[in-house]
Amino acid sequence: MNIIQTSNLKKEYDMGKVSVMALNGIDMSIEQGEFVAIMGPSGSGKSTLMHILGCLDKPTDGTYILAEQEVSQLTKSELAAVRNEKIGFVFQTFNLLPHMNILLNVELPLMYAGIGRTKRKRRAIEVLESVGLGDRLNHKPSELSGGQRQRVAIARAIVNHPSIVLADEPTGNLDSQAGSDILNIFSDLHKAGHTIIMVTHDHVVSQSANRIIKIIDGKIVDGNLS
Amino acid sequence: MAISLKESLVIGFTDFWSRKIRSFVTILGIILGTMSIIVVLAIVNGVNKSTLAWMSERGGLTKIDVQRNWNYDEQNVGKRFLTLRELNFIHTKIPEVTAFNPQLQDYKKFKHVDKSYNAQLIGVLPDFTIAEEWDADQGRFISKYDEDYSNDVIVLGTALKDKLFGAREAIGQYVTMGNLQLRVIGIMKERIFKQPGGGFGGGNMLEYLNYQAFIPLSTMIHKVTGTDEIESFSVKAPNPQSATEIRQKLEALLLNLRAGKPIFTVEAAQEEMEQMKKNSMIFQVIFFLVASISLMVGGIVIMNIMLATIQERTREIGIRLAVGARRRDIFMQFMIQTVLMTSIGGVLGIMIGFSILKYVGKYLNTVVAASSMMVVIALIVSAGVGLVFGIFPAIRASNLDPVEALRNE
Repeated sequence: MNIIQTSNLKKEYDMGKVSVMALNGIDMSIEQGEFVAIMGPSGSGKSTLMHILGCLDKPTDGTYILAEQEVSQLTKSELAAVRNEKIGFVFQTFNLLPHMNILLNVELPLMYAGIGRTKRKRRAIEVLESVGLGDRLNHKPSELSGGQRQRVAIARAIVNHPSIVLADEPTGNLDSQAGSDILNIFSDLHKAGHTIIMVTHDHVVSQSANRIIKIIDGKIVDGNLS
Repeated sequence: MAISLKESLVIGFTDFWSRKIRSFVTILGIILGTMSIIVVLAIVNGVNKSTLAWMSERGGLTKIDVQRNWNYDEQNVGKRFLTLRELNFIHTKIPEVTAFNPQLQDYKKFKHVDKSYNAQLIGVLPDFTIAEEWDADQGRFISKYDEDYSNDVIVLGTALKDKLFGAREAIGQYVTMGNLQLRVIGIMKERIFKQPGGGFGGGNMLEYLNYQAFIPLSTMIHKVTGTDEIESFSVKAPNPQSATEIRQKLEALLLNLRAGKPIFTVEAAQEEMEQMKKNSMIFQVIFFLVASISLMVGGIVIMNIMLATIQERTREIGIRLAVGARRRDIFMQFMIQTVLMTSIGGVLGIMIGFSILKYVGKYLNTVVAASSMMVVIALIVSAGVGLVFGIFPAIRASNLDPVEALRNE
């Protein structure tokens, strides 16, 4: 079953006199349970693709079906709900809220899902324990190492049982040891059945994935399912 | 499904608390604004209360006074007084009044044995006690019998009694005035009215009344003045609402009796009270405006800080959007935070306002009266400032684009 299905996805940025075609007709399908790496040089449009796949942005044209729902024409609020229910993000810069301890950070998606306090706390602790941070619940992000912070971010990404986990250069800000730890966690998640899409420009990192999609100038040049 | 109000309140309070010093400085304007509203309202309330107390000391709100018009000084305008016949005629035209009391005054030398004292002697009718809401405390006041038979009886004010009799019993004793010997039948109740807050040197503003003495009007006319040239009288309206109508009737009657010349003035306490309220209203409005302007300034400061806060927290907003916060959630987060801040400022302002009220009253030498209504007003106003000035920053926050916000450093 395809968890992601796009056809002729386009994104055009209006830069005054000229317009830039960041995505120029992406036809892509990703099956449930895949671990896919999206690769491309900077300016290739991989970030734009990731924003659209993550429902943070809308395509100018084309369709995008995520978990059997057409999402390319939804309103901002509907997109927020889709992000909350179906997508978990892992960013290069972790993007944790600095004033909250890591437990509250992981609870955040559940809070916006309208889940009660005790239930979401239980769930957040469970997930933090699974990434090996069960003893750091009351720590602020600034009290943790980079690798630990990224593990918190992964816990936050999967806490609401999303359809896909989107990771944008997840090892970009980590040393090689911490980076490979994080990639191992992604591999474990993959084995546990999660669909993972990772954007990267690093060949070594992309080897963790079981399929590599290459993008150049807003088009897929390699790695699509035939 | 959006997050609950309780959830938003927790977020708002956590934000407030995690930046304690900044939060406090931010709401300082609201604290001062609310404080000044409390103080202003308490002063206004106090002035109104003491005005009412003063009016009731002067005979209540249903009293209507007729006096010589001292501002009217044209020559040859006829009698500047009313005769008993005219007064009786006036009384028949306003039968609804509950009291009708002419007063004929003279300044006399009172004697008792070896003591003497100059004081005001007033001839009155038994209705005096109703018209002035003032009666004898010991003994009795002048009766209809005394009036009908022009009895030689006198009722003394407490201060005059002290001057003539000291601590000795006065009732049953005699006061002489020239050839006239008057038997003391009663001592008036002592009149005391101190301006609360110690105005007028803290003295008794009604002490002069305690130096007055009262005899029957007929005794006054026949045995003291020899004439019935009465310059003032007062009547009592059955209720405050009818005071204006009776005042108008009296004015018309008196103008008729004196060929349209305004020789007498007619004043209804109720109307005076309303006029006083109207006059003080202007100051109330000005005070309130000034206090409101300081609140507005407080609100603008908050709006400014909130805009800066949102700028600073753009990335946080992006993160919240990414994990599923809706625009409404972001809007509510900042809205509630602003209202929470101004409300906390409001509560602090109310508390400080109340605690300094006593000193303000002492310093300004005026009455201050707090009421629970003021707390409600101050709370509503301070929360309202949060609502008004929180909207714009909250809209700005909720309009942020997730991609742009996440890119923000």
